[in-house]
Amino acid sequence: MNDVTDMKNYYSLLNSDWNSALEQLFGDYLIYAPIKTEESIDFELIQNEDIQEIIYNVPKPTTPLKTFFLPIKENLTSETPDSKRIIIGTPNCDIHGLQILDEIYLDKDYVDYAYKTRRENTILISSSCFETLEHCHCMTYGVKPFSTEVADISLSHLDKKIHLEVLSEKGEKFINELKNIASVSNSAESEIKDIELKHSKIENEVIANNTGLPDYKKTGKIVSKAEDKTWIKYSTNCVSCGACATICPTCTCFLLIDKPNFEKVRQLDACQYPGFERVAGGEDALGELPKRFKNRYFCKYVWKPQKFKSLVCTGCGRCIEACIGKINKNELFRELA
Amino acid sequence: MAETKNIYKPIRAKLLDVIAESPTIKTFIMEPEEDFTFKTGEFIELTVDGIGEAPFTPSSSPLETKKIEVTVMKTGYVTEYLHQMKPGETLGIRGPFGRGYPVERFYDKEVLILGGGCGFAPIRSLLYNLAAISDKLRKVTLCYGSKTPDECIYKPYVDELRNTPKFEVLRTVDEPNESWSESVGVATVLLDQVKVDIKNSVAVCCGPPIMMKFGTMKFLEMGYPENDIYLSMEKNMSCGLGKCGHCMMGKYFVCKEGPVFTYDEIKDQPDIWS
Repeated sequence: MNDVTDMKNYYSLLNSDWNSALEQLFGDYLIYAPIKTEESIDFELIQNEDIQEIIYNVPKPTTPLKTFFLPIKENLTSETPDSKRIIIGTPNCDIHGLQILDEIYLDKDYVDYAYKTRRENTILISSSCFETLEHCHCMTYGVKPFSTEVADISLSHLDKKIHLEVLSEKGEKFINELKNIASVSNSAESEIKDIELKHSKIENEVIANNTGLPDYKKTGKIVSKAEDKTWIKYSTNCVSCGACATICPTCTCFLLIDKPNFEKVRQLDACQYPGFERVAGGEDALGELPKRFKNRYFCKYVWKPQKFKSLVCTGCGRCIEACIGKINKNELFRELA
Repeated sequence: MAETKNIYKPIRAKLLDVIAESPTIKTFIMEPEEDFTFKTGEFIELTVDGIGEAPFTPSSSPLETKKIEVTVMKTGYVTEYLHQMKPGETLGIRGPFGRGYPVERFYDKEVLILGGGCGFAPIRSLLYNLAAISDKLRKVTLCYGSKTPDECIYKPYVDELRNTPKFEVLRTVDEPNESWSESVGVATVLLDQVKVDIKNSVAVCCGPPIMMKFGTMKFLEMGYPENDIYLSMEKNMSCGLGKCGHCMMGKYFVCKEGPVFTYDEIKDQPDIWS
């Protein structure tokens, strides 16, 4: 890595300056950031009037970051994504989740052009989590509640200032761009200390909330050893809705749909849907629900870890929140630990 | 630029001819708009425009670059449409994908091939390849099984092989008719009739899942080491690129790391025969 990451590269600006800088950046970028609605906090395409409403330093917005790079549906043969984007307020669990997507979609044997273009055209401004939610368990899998890599900038909002820690060359360029339109200074030692204190407080909180939950080194063994009765028991309330996969920052399976004139449309798919592995002859290794349910655990904790370097579960806990059958994967892991 | 090549976009191929091999199997001879090369055992994704895409291992010779053939059994949505297509119409091809047969590892060996039904398609491509390098091989034996004599495909090619030095073809059917003079029973019965020097031999199997399973068991019983048994696996290979996830067989993306595996490589993975 370059020395950008070796030293603490913190910049700061007043909230009001940051807000007016964002206004000016609208000319060149689409800007997405979390906004609070009655029911949830989720990413929105920010307009002038939304700038004041952006929520910083909160855990996971409802939509996982992956959907910015793998839209639910897109035509892969007719559209070329080219908009420059800034995505603000992504928690580190989602940032981490991008790494497995990168391994799959930027695989040098078959580079996915749409994905690559979107990655290149996006500035990722991650924001540290200053609070934790019920199902957050990033630390259990070795993911910190603040970014140190993959994102371009790590943002912390303290009192009247926005602090921006540079994590990449792209982030460095963004700061330079920002300096042209706003008054940017270096963060003070004491301010950096305050941020670091917040970081370690949340780290400890997430660890304390998840005492006894098996880590990523153990989950694979647990899943491998689990007997059929476990999969039958935990899948009893599963209705194959696929919400767990849709909401997961690392689930990336898709269908290719054919349109006239040899066009191909990619639509995100889920191994929890019936027929996911069915072949034309009718054979279907995942025809039965408990097998599909089990497949997702094997994929995340056994098979993909044998194949890829990146984590395939980042401990965001969204699948637990999204499940209408109230299935909690962590209960399964605790039971079998 | 290779980097900006759209990996999802098929090249077009003109359908030159359609050969009815059996009541349910047809061979489609196509001429791609640009030269198309593949290694035997690798597969292509074939698009019926606006209908769908399905994976097929070409049945033609890998030495032929102007034309490509696939032999397809009518089994599902895409193949139903494909079977209605006429010469002159246009298909789409993506690929080639995956890992084919490591033919160079067959040098100085006897190759024992077990095939069933439409599984003869990839095997025919392999046989074309082996025939071209037969000076480097000891012997090639094909054991082929199908349900009925009518469903035995590539009849002229079988006659041709039977007249090719170093090549032998044994056939069996489940339900013979009066004119059938060859073996009767499931494909694996043919393996009992073969005299083979296991130490200097490799085994290849391609066919329906049930035949793959019992064929492999038989090869093991005969004494073949697990890494000398080559299996052409079939899963729901959809993107062909190791991305869409539909063909995962345990830790493998069959489309990228297969479809040809040694038994040794896949024996610990789940659901390999389904």
